[in-house]
This record gives sequence, C-alpha cells and structure tokens, in this order.
Amino acid sequence: MDLATLRDVTFTYAYAEMPALEGVTLQLQRGQLYGVVGINGSGKSTLCSLLRGLIPHFHQGTLEGTVEILGKDLGEWDAAELSRTIGCVFDNPFTQISGIKDTVFEEIAFGLENLGVSRSDMLDRVTSVSEQMGITALLRKNPNELSGGQRQKVAFASIIAMDSEVLVIDEPTSQLDPQSSHAVFEIIADLKARGKSIVLVEHKIDLMAQFADRLVVMRSGEVVAEGPTAQVLASPAMDAADVPRPEVTDLAFALEAVGKGLGCVPVTRREAEAAIATRMRGTQIHADRVA
Amino acid sequence: MSTQSLISRYGRLTIFMIPIGIAINFVGGQLALLLKLPVYLDSIGTILVGALCGGIPGALVGLVSNGINSITSPPTLAFGILNVMFGLLAGWLGRRGVFTVLWKTLASAVPFALIGGFLGALITLWVFGGLAVGGGALVVGALMAAGLDVTTANFVAQVPMDFLDKVPTVLAVYVVLRGIPRRIFAKLPLGEVYLRAKGVTPAPVPTASQPTPGGLR
Amino acid sequence: MSALSPEAASAPSGGTFDGVVSHGNWIRDMHPLNVAVVLASISLLALATPRPVGLVSGCVAFLGIAVAAGVGGSFARLYAKLVVGVGLVLFVLRAAFVHGNHVLFELGPLAPTWEGVREGTTFALVVMALCGALTLYFVLVPMKTFMLALELKGMPPQATYILLASFQAITDLGRSARTVMDAQKSRGIETEGNLWVRARAFVPILAPVFITALNQTEERAIALDARAFNSGIPHTHVLQLRPAPAWERAATALTAAACLATIGAGLLWT
Repeated sequence: MDLATLRDVTFTYAYAEMPALEGVTLQLQRGQLYGVVGINGSGKSTLCSLLRGLIPHFHQGTLEGTVEILGKDLGEWDAAELSRTIGCVFDNPFTQISGIKDTVFEEIAFGLENLGVSRSDMLDRVTSVSEQMGITALLRKNPNELSGGQRQKVAFASIIAMDSEVLVIDEPTSQLDPQSSHAVFEIIADLKARGKSIVLVEHKIDLMAQFADRLVVMRSGEVVAEGPTAQVLASPAMDAADVPRPEVTDLAFALEAVGKGLGCVPVTRREAEAAIATRMRGTQIHADRVA
Repeated sequence: MSTQSLISRYGRLTIFMIPIGIAINFVGGQLALLLKLPVYLDSIGTILVGALCGGIPGALVGLVSNGINSITSPPTLAFGILNVMFGLLAGWLGRRGVFTVLWKTLASAVPFALIGGFLGALITLWVFGGLAVGGGALVVGALMAAGLDVTTANFVAQVPMDFLDKVPTVLAVYVVLRGIPRRIFAKLPLGEVYLRAKGVTPAPVPTASQPTPGGLR
Repeated sequence: MSALSPEAASAPSGGTFDGVVSHGNWIRDMHPLNVAVVLASISLLALATPRPVGLVSGCVAFLGIAVAAGVGGSFARLYAKLVVGVGLVLFVLRAAFVHGNHVLFELGPLAPTWEGVREGTTFALVVMALCGALTLYFVLVPMKTFMLALELKGMPPQATYILLASFQAITDLGRSARTVMDAQKSRGIETEGNLWVRARAFVPILAPVFITALNQTEERAIALDARAFNSGIPHTHVLQLRPAPAWERAATALTAAACLATIGAGLLWT
C-alpha cells in the first residue's frame, strides 16, 4: 500500500481564478523521505494541504481527479483518524503554538492530552522529544514568550511527540539558523529511519540534497519531476522550475561546461569532496609523472 | 457521510474567532483610554464576531468579555447583558447584509446606542440605584444636582453618550470587515453575505480568465 | 530530569510536572471548586448578617485568607485599587447626590445628607464584599487550574479553549497594537493633540492589528487540528489537581452550611 496516490488531480481554491494544482499525478511510497521543491506559489503548500486532507474539506474549492491516502480514498477517511495518522507542521511558528498553555512542557503535552495518552507515557514522551530537539532548557518557559526559532522547535517537537505514522512538514526551518536547521533535518532523518513516511517542503536545497530520498519538483501547480534526489537534482527539470541546485552540483556542471567534468554529478558536499579529492589525487599523480 | 463530518469539524473557525473578538474588545477599550477618548469602544469585537459568525457567537464574545473584565472591575459584570445584546443584534443585522454597506453600518449605531443607552440606564437604576461608576455617573450626578430626577438623568445622559460610542465602533467594524480576505469569509457562518456583496458567486471559476499565477486566495 | 525536579519549581503553574499542582500552601492547594464554594459562602454570609458589621467582617476575612495563603500583598494591592476606584466612587456619588432630610453641609449645588452617606457606605461595602470574593478567587486560583477543575467536571475542552485563548489573545493583540502604534507614530500619525486628532488615530492603529489576528484564525484552526484537538477521544491532563483531603471537604461543607443556616435563619426571622 502506498502512502499516497494522486491521479490527474486538479484543485482550484474557492474564489480563485487559477487552479493551485493542475493535472498532478503522483505516487508516494511509504517509509521514504520526500522532498518537495519549487518556487513560491508553485503549489507545494497546496500539495501538503491535500495530503493532510485539509483540501477540500477545510479549504473549499473544486477538486478533480482521485486522491488515495494509505490506500483509502480521501473522502472516505474519518477526519479525526486522518489527523491522527498524518501529523502536520507548517512554517508559521506563531500560529502553531496553542495559545492556551503557559509552559513549553504542557504545550508539547497538549497533543498527547488530546489523544488521551496516559500521564506517565506523556511525561516520558515529552522528556525524550525535548531532549531530542535540544529544548529541555525551554520546558518551563512560556511558549508564548519565545522567539520565532524557539517556537518553531517547540511546534515541531509537539507534533513529533504525537508519533504519527506519516508527517507532512512545510518549511520547518524557516526561522532557524543553519546549525539548528541541520539539527532538525537530522531529526527528520531519524524519524524516517524509524519507519515514518515523510513529505517535506523546504527551500534549503543543500539540506534536501543531503537528506531526501526522492524529490518532487513543482512549477505553477504542476509536478515537473519526481524521482531519486541525485537524479532529479541533475535533471533539467530544476532549471525549468527555476529551483536552484546545490552549490556543488552547479560547480560540477560548471567544470563539465569547460570540459573538466568530475565524471559524476555530486549533490552533497561529501560527494563533491570525494570527487574533487579523487581528481586532486589524479592531478597529483599526473603532476608527479610530469616531474 | 465522512465528508460531512470533515466539513462540520472544519466549519468551526468560529471557536477561534471568539477569543480574538474578546481580545479586540479589550484592546479597543484600552486604546480608547490610552488616546484619552471620551468613549468606551469596548464592543468592537462583539459586533464584529456577531456580524461574521452570527448572534450566538457574538453574544458569547460579549458575555466572556464582561466576565473577564469583572475580575479586575466587578461592576462590569452587571452590564454583561448589554454586550450580549450587542452580539445578538449584530448577528441579526449581519445576516441582513447591514455591514456590507457603509451608510447602513453607520445607521446601525442607532439601534446599538438605543440598547446600550436604555438598557444601560435601566441596569444602572436597578443595580446601582442610578449611580454606577465611570464617567457616565458623574454626568448623571451633575444632572441630578441640576434638578433632574435620577431616572430622567440616567436616560438623558446615557443614550447620547452611547450613540457617541457606537458610531466609531461600527465604523471600526466596517473597516475591519473590508480588510478580511475572501478565503476567511468562505470559512465563516455569515461569510457568504460578504462574499455576495463583493459580487463573488460561491462557485469557483476554474477557467483562467486572468494571468495571475497561483490565483487569488 | 533535572529540569523537572521540584527544586526548579518556578514555572507559572507553580507546580511540578511529575507531581500534582502544588503551591506549598494549604489554602492555595485547595481544590479550585472548594475555594469557590468557601469564598462565595463568605460573601453571602457578609450580605446576610447585620450591616455594616457583617460586610466589614467579610472584607476583613478576605484579607485574612489572602495573608494566610501567602498572597496578602498582591491581593491587598488589587483590593485597594478596587476600594478606591469602585467603592469610594460609589460612596461619594451617593453621599453627594442622594436626597435626604439631614443635610450635612452645603457646597454650591451639592448638599450631602446623612441618608446619602449611610446608603453610600452600605452600598459600597456590599459591592466590595462581592468584589472581594471574585478578586481573591483569581489571586488564589490560576485560571488554568480553575479551567482544569471545570473540564474534569465535564465542561467541553472547546469552552476551556475559548477562555484560555482569550487571555493569551488579549496579551498578544495588546502587544501588536503597541507595536503598530509606535510604528504609526514614527510615520507621523499623531496620537496626541486635540480630540479629533486622537480619535482619527484609532482606526489606523487597530484595523491592521485586528485584521491580522482574524486572518490567523485559519492557521490556528489547522494547528489545533494537527494536535488532535478534535480527536473525539476523552482528553487526559498533564496537570493534576491534588485530591481534596477530608479536612478540606469538611471545612468547605461547614462554611457552606454556616452560610445556608444564617441565610435560612434570617429568612425565618423576618
């Protein structure tokens, strides 16, 4: 059973002139980390809303085509069950804080309270999630007084504490510095390693290259490419969608353009370092020989 | 059927509007004090939520606002019924599209002021024997000293004062309503009234008549 | 778990997460609903007993309870504000304007009477006896503990949400209003000057703040749904109320009984 199957899906928000998604056909497998990239307004967030079942039931509009989530038609899902099964984090850290809890501890526990989790389980989960996120120092603080970045971590922690099978994450690091962003991606990778299915929208393409299993590239409501991350990053779909490639990939293309290709297309720093090291060693051997 | 359950669940933007309405009542009142305006302006949220979500949510905003206010200023509790009535009236007027037209909105200050003035005067008379706290009481006292009896003094003082309060209140409501985007209206009980007034038919238009990528949301 | 140890118990809740909510004071640790019963009883007793002795004793009793609960200072400050801002005003207005036969002195059009002073004293004290209970209650019981007590008695979580979210929204909205006000000031919108100038500043300051807040309700709805707020499963609670010990239940029952008996006796007598 797949995570989601979309067949020729077109969605137009009520009162909008243009469809936000157009003719999207997509098959997402379970246990994978999908990265969704595209410029603003390309339909990434709409895709998330659809996977999360917010479309068409919360955001009204016309939905054409068929959407299946975990083998069941979107319309047949019980709403409460769907929100339990698919966790969702979005970019605005301010609206994601419940606004009714005055400690971070209670804020993270809020979702668990709503799920009827027993108190002892709740304490364990909040403790372990906050350790994982590195926010134990915040536990007694008022979530409504935190900075944007801290709130974002708390919001993320609150959702992963709920331990849902699938996570739809829309720009979880918009307010975070590079170091914290990397840490969040490490946690996402760890969640995937524990068998979760993840759909992640993110602009930080270097991190996507490093962590995503597969990439979905979107442009004006259409999916222009879907496939293994390295393959997609090297494909012309990236240019077509106006999405920048990782620095190292651009570098490799630049070298190739002047006839000095690395012989592979690196997408992460580590791959690039390996390829360049090999080249350097080769050059060294070459230089030694000349000498 | 399950679709229905989804809709009924998500149709409830109302419960998120109520706390905002309450906060609007407070902040409006506080700013009026800060700007040293001689009016209360503390029922904008009640009328706004009534106009958007209907009479009962509006009344709830009024009730809770006065309840919370009474923690620091207990006599406010006695006047809670006024704020409840404002909410109910706003819902009734909202359903009839009053707040979609500027002059009708301004005209609505009259019924609001009549409720506020008359009922306010009656509560002052019944609960406080004609002399409550606040700026109004001084005016009432002055009128009494000038020879009016307590009942007349209350009505003479409170009805015009409430009118002065309600004109800027409904004006603020009108301005805020104009600033609310369509997609929020679409999720509110009385949103359709405002969308229709904007000339929008509830059915979306899937054809691309204008080259606006992503569409207007 | 050092962050959760009792030593670090400086959280607004005053309690620890792995235990029950405790303020380390037997009055403040009483069940919120018992506190409500006791304070309401004292208030009613004060109203039912001979005036003005009963009313004064009621007000003094509130002060005594506040001191015993270790919140004497904060309660006294709040109460003093009410006495001046509400009690005194109610008294002065009546003393000045209530007509009577025993005129104390004349000052221009004002002729305070003995009847006015007496009515003013009694009325102000009645209001203060009622205000005292309400004020003391919210000094003693944090709103969230009160809400938890009501939720455990069957109040729907949506109602709790509305109340608790209102307090936060007031804080947040007040903060953004101040920010916008400062921004508007620096952009040249005057907030001082004559009445018309000040009145015109009102809408430009508030409308953007209100509109933003109303827009955010959409994301709030999604965020709360993501936290399974609408799960339909009976909620559990990370905070725990201390189960009321026998003496507390007895004391509550006794106070309520004394109140009812006094009122009953008063009704039979007349």
